[in-house]
Amino acid sequence: MHLSSFFRSSAAVFSTSVLLRVVFLLYGLFQDAYSPMKYTDIDYFVFTDAARFISQGRSPYTRDTYRYTPLLAWLIYPTTWPGFWFSFGKVLFAIGDIVAGWMMFHILRSHQNMPLDRALKFASIWLLNPMVATISTRGSSEGLLGVIVIALLWAVLAKRVRLAGLLLGLAVHFKIYPFIYAASIIWWLDEDRIDQAKERKSKPKSSLLSRIISFVNSERLTLTIFSLFTFMGLNIVMYLAYGYPFLEHSYFYHLIRIDHRHNFSPYNTLLYLNSAPQGQSHPSFELERLAFLPQLLLSALMIPLALAKKDLPSTMLAQTFAFVTFNKVCTSQYFLWYMMFLPFYLPVSTLLSSRKTGIVALVLWVLGQALWLQQGYQLEFLGNSTFVPGLWTAGILFFVVNVGILGLIIRDVRAKETDPLRLKAAKKTS
Amino acid sequence: MKQRITYLVRNPDEFTPEQLAVKPSSIALRKVNAAKEHRITLGLEELPDELRKAFNQWHELHIRWASESPYDAIPPFTSRVSPGLHVFYTPQKDHPDSLLCPLLKEVFGNGFVCEDPKETFIKLPILSERFSMSSSTQFYTRIPDLASLVSYFQSKICPLSPNSCKISASTLLSASYVDIDYDAISHTLIINAFWARAPNEENHWTETISLPGSQETIEIGILNNEPNPDPEDISFSGFLTVLGQDTQPKPTRFQTPTRHYPLSASSLVYKTSFAHPTGLHPTLILTLPTKHLEPPDTTCRLHAHLTLPRTLFIDKYQFSDSLFLSSHHITSLRSISGATDLEAPDWVVPQWGSAALFELDTPSSDPDPDQEAGRDWNITIPLHLRYFPPSNSTHTPLAVPWPVLFWACRAEEGTKMSVNPFDRIHLGYEALFGPKTRFMHIPPAASRNGNGNGRGRREGGGELVEWIDVPVLDLRKAGWVEVGTVGVVLVSFLGLCWVLFGKGVGEGGAGVKKVGKGKKRQ
Repeated sequence: MHLSSFFRSSAAVFSTSVLLRVVFLLYGLFQDAYSPMKYTDIDYFVFTDAARFISQGRSPYTRDTYRYTPLLAWLIYPTTWPGFWFSFGKVLFAIGDIVAGWMMFHILRSHQNMPLDRALKFASIWLLNPMVATISTRGSSEGLLGVIVIALLWAVLAKRVRLAGLLLGLAVHFKIYPFIYAASIIWWLDEDRIDQAKERKSKPKSSLLSRIISFVNSERLTLTIFSLFTFMGLNIVMYLAYGYPFLEHSYFYHLIRIDHRHNFSPYNTLLYLNSAPQGQSHPSFELERLAFLPQLLLSALMIPLALAKKDLPSTMLAQTFAFVTFNKVCTSQYFLWYMMFLPFYLPVSTLLSSRKTGIVALVLWVLGQALWLQQGYQLEFLGNSTFVPGLWTAGILFFVVNVGILGLIIRDVRAKETDPLRLKAAKKTS
Repeated sequence: MKQRITYLVRNPDEFTPEQLAVKPSSIALRKVNAAKEHRITLGLEELPDELRKAFNQWHELHIRWASESPYDAIPPFTSRVSPGLHVFYTPQKDHPDSLLCPLLKEVFGNGFVCEDPKETFIKLPILSERFSMSSSTQFYTRIPDLASLVSYFQSKICPLSPNSCKISASTLLSASYVDIDYDAISHTLIINAFWARAPNEENHWTETISLPGSQETIEIGILNNEPNPDPEDISFSGFLTVLGQDTQPKPTRFQTPTRHYPLSASSLVYKTSFAHPTGLHPTLILTLPTKHLEPPDTTCRLHAHLTLPRTLFIDKYQFSDSLFLSSHHITSLRSISGATDLEAPDWVVPQWGSAALFELDTPSSDPDPDQEAGRDWNITIPLHLRYFPPSNSTHTPLAVPWPVLFWACRAEEGTKMSVNPFDRIHLGYEALFGPKTRFMHIPPAASRNGNGNGRGRREGGGELVEWIDVPVLDLRKAGWVEVGTVGVVLVSFLGLCWVLFGKGVGEGGAGVKKVGKGKKRQ
C-alpha cells in the first residue's frame, strides 16, 4: 500500500498500531521465556507483586518501591490469575495507548478541523511510535496516565466539564503532576468558551469584585468541585483502606524524594553534592531547595496565564515540557508525558514549518541525551567517576536544549491568532 | 577463672609424649606442630566495674572475629565466619542498651559507625524456632587486626591478673579467630581464641603454661584426630592434663557428634573476586574447581553466606526468575536481612549492612554439557552499589569480606551436637537451618602466587577481602557545580519569562516566521 493511501484509512493506521503492540507483546513473552535478560519492565514486577499482595488481602505497599495509588494494583488484579493473565496489565496499558491515540485523532478531526489523512499522520506520532508501544508493552503504566490525560483534554474541549473534573481528579490521584493542567483549563474556561453564542455584556471598567465574580463562572466552579471531590474522595477511600502507607508512598515520597541516582535533571549533581554529609562541609546556599519555584511558576502559573486562551492543547504541552525540564528528577519515561501533546502542537509549529529549525532541535535533543547516556554508561558500567564535569555538563546541556525547544513552543503558541470569536475578549484582557 | 587449652596435632606421627614436660603447676611444650584453641571462662565478678555494668544490661552477646588471612582448619575447628567483627546481640527486655556501641568502639577501635543497636544492628530472621538460643540482632564491621582489643585487655582486664595476662593478651594478634560470649543465664564471659598454626617460622609451639593461682584450673589437651568411627561423629585421641592435679599427661580417647563436620575432599577450595569493571553494579564471583564439587552426601546442598557492608546491597526481587537464577548458578536466595532498601544512598542507611544466604547450583545439578571436569565452576551474584558521599578523590575504596561457603547436610542427631566440647554456634547462618543440619565448610583459597592477583588487593588488607573502587563525586572539581546549576536555571527561567511576556516575541500573527537561533542559548 502506498504511504499516502495508508494514511487515508483510519482502519489501516489503527490496525497497524494494534499489530505493532501485539508483535511487541509476543516478542516480550518470547524474550522473557528464553532469556535471563527480561523484556518486561522492572516496574511491572512491582505492580504485579503489589496486585498479588492485594489478592492476599494485604497492602500493596508491602512491596518495596510501590509508589503508586492502590487503584493501579486493583486495575491489574487479573495478573494474579494463572497463565497468560500475567500479561493482562501490559494488554491494558497497550489498549490505553491506542484509546489515547484514538482520542488524539478525534480531537484533531473535530477540534482542530484537520482533514482525515493529516489527522491520522499526526496521531501516528503517538500511535505508531515504537517508543510508546515499547513502554506500554514492557508494562510501564505511563500509557494509562496518557489515556486519562488525553481524555481530560477531550472532555474539556467537548465542554463536558463534569467529566473533565472527574478525570482531572483521577489523573492527579494517579500521578501528582497533572494538577498543573487545572490552571490552564480553568483559565481557558471563560465566558466566551462556555457560551459563544451569548452576547458578552460589555463592562469597560469593571470593579475588582465584579471581575472576580465574573471569573468564578459556573463551569470553573463545576470543574473545581468535581475534580476536588474526585481527588479527595479517592484519597479518603484509599486512606481508609490502606492507611498511612498510602499517603507516604503515593504522595509524600514524591514530595520529599531526593534521587541521587544520576538522571537527566540539571539539579542531579547539586542534589548529590548537597545531600551527602561530606558535601555539606563546603559553603552552600542550598538553593536547590527552591528548585520547585521556577518549575511551578512556569508550569502551573505563567504558561497557563500567557497561553491557555490561545491554544489549550499546546499550552498543556508547554506546561508539561516545563514541568519535566525543570523537575528535580527526570528519566526518559517522563518524556512520554509531553510527547502525548505533540500531535496537537506540531501541525502549526516552527519545528515543522521551518525544516531547518525542526531538524536542529531534534538533533540537539537526541545528541543531548546521547551525550548524557554516554557519560552515564561510563559511570554505571565502567565505574569511572564522571559526575563532574561529564554528567553535570551533559545534564546542563540537555537542559539548555530543552529550554530552547520550550522557548520555541511558547513563542509559537503566543504568536497564534486568537480564536476570532474571542478576539474582542482577548483584547480586553491583555 | 577457668582455662582450657587444646592443641590439635597436625601430624600424629611426628608427635611423641617426650615433647611434653609436666610439673605440678606448669606444663611445657617443645616444638609441637599443632592448631591451638585457648578458652578462658571468667565470672562476672572477675571483670572491671564498667564491663559488669554493661553486661548486666544485656541478655546475650556473642562476638565472632575472624582474620583476613586464610588459615587451614583442622577438625573440630572447621567452622568459619567471614573475616571481620561480627556481634550477635540479644537485648534484655526493658533494659537500655546504650552502653553496647560505646563499649564496642572502646574495645575494637573507633574506626566504625555504631550509634544505637536499635538502629545500627540488623534483625536476624530465624527460620528454626527450636534454635531458641539464637541471637536476635547482628552487627558487622571490618576489623583487620585485634591490636585495639589487645591493648584494651592489657589496660582494663590484666591489671587484676598476674603479669602473664599481658603476654597472653598479645598472642591474640596472631589468632585465626576469636570468640567472646556472654549470656545472662550463665553470667559468665567466655573468651575463645583459635590459632591454626603457631606464629613463628617453624609453626611449632614451644611454650610453658603455668597455673597463675591456686584457685584456678587449667585443663590442657593435646589431641589428634582419629578415623571417624560413626558417620556423624568425629573422634580424638591424645593426652589430657589438669594443671595442679595431674603429674603426668593422661591418655584419652573420645568421640562426639559434631555440627561442623570435616570435609574430606581437601582440594576443594573457593576463590572470591569481582568482575571488572565493577561499575555501580558489581558482580561477585565465587570460583570452585568443577572436578571436586560433588556433594559429600545426597542430602548436601551448597550454600554461600554473604556479609555485605551497607554500601553494597542485594535486590531480592532479582532472584525470583528461574532463568536468571540458573544463568548465575544460583538455586535460590534463601534469606536476606538488614539494609535492603533499593534506593537509599549510603549516608541515609542506618544499619551496618546486610546478610544473605544463597543456595547454589552445583555442576551435577546442571545439565550444561560444556561444564567438564577440570574447568572452574563460577557462581555469580549480582550486587548493587549505593551512592557514596563525595570526597576529594574520584573513587572511595570499599572492602568486601569473602563470603563463607559450606555444604549444609541432613544430620540424624541434631540435638546431640551441643555435647561436643568444641561446638561453635552463633555464626549468623546456622539458625537459618533446621536443628538437624550439619555443616561441611569449604576453605577459602590461600593466594596462589604471593601477592594474589594484584587487582583488588590493598596495602594492609588481608587476602580474604576484596576491594571495590566506588566512583564518587570529586569535590575538587565540584566547586562550580552549585553556582553553575543555579545560574543556568535562573538565566533559563528569566529567558522563558521574556519569551512568555516580553514585547516583540511572537507578535506578527502567523507564528511561522523565522525564529532566532540565539533562542537555544538562553
